[in-house]
Amino acid sequence: MNISPSEAEEALAAIQKITQKTRHSIASSGAYIFLIITGIVWLVGFLSTQFLTGAIVAYIWIGISLLGSALSILLGSRLGPRVRGPSTAATAKRAGIFWLLLVLYGIAAVAIARPTDGKQVTMFVILFIMIGQLAMGLLLSFSSVWWALPITALALIGYFLLPGIFYLWMGVLGGGGMIALGLYIHSSW
Amino acid sequence: MAELNETIHQPVRLRIMAALVTLDPGNEVDFSYLRDLLQVTDGNLGAHLRKLEEAGYIAINKLFVERKPRTFVSVTTEGRKVFQEHVAALESILKKK
Repeated sequence: MNISPSEAEEALAAIQKITQKTRHSIASSGAYIFLIITGIVWLVGFLSTQFLTGAIVAYIWIGISLLGSALSILLGSRLGPRVRGPSTAATAKRAGIFWLLLVLYGIAAVAIARPTDGKQVTMFVILFIMIGQLAMGLLLSFSSVWWALPITALALIGYFLLPGIFYLWMGVLGGGGMIALGLYIHSSW
Repeated sequence: MAELNETIHQPVRLRIMAALVTLDPGNEVDFSYLRDLLQVTDGNLGAHLRKLEEAGYIAINKLFVERKPRTFVSVTTEGRKVFQEHVAALESILKKK
């Protein structure tokens, strides 16, 4: 079998393209759904915190968080495993244990630091979630690392420079940003 | 010297093999996921998978997951080896250019 150098070049380019697409797709497998759901939870939760007062805010957060979690589990199980095998099962188990431990460490940190207001608690939660996302991204795929950094930066800017509109800032830019990113990943990968 | 493989060189089969060798050894991918990834039809993908399976380059595993029939595809050790040889042959053609 003989082919020209240009045909060889085209074949190698096709291989490179599908290899990259496969890596991206596996790394982000279903991630867009969870980004969109988390974005909606943040958008509704933070906007209600900014504009409403009293117990209703806590009820909204609890309600929307439970709804988001249930929807994530339902959609995650409906998607099913796209890639299965010994290495994916082991990775999923390690990731699950990591997130569980991170939640426990987060609770311990909040208990020790005893934040005095809602903004501080919010920052603790955001920082721990983003640390988890960065760790997952660095271990599993560089392509899913980058978005945790701008969200952390946005949260820090809002907390230190815009305390009066912190929740509005986090709802629109943090929540809206996650929704936009989820839609982008879904359409481009 | 590495040689080109006619079975693998067909464009759709080349992309199928490229996607499968990207997986960790021992892992397998869902048929519908592979179809969406490669943007081909069910029939087209099925026909090319049969060719690759006949050549011994891939393995097809049909099973039930939560009472639903699912088809998973993986690359064999032989498939991984001939794909790497094919890529080496393509690269050597470019080097001679």
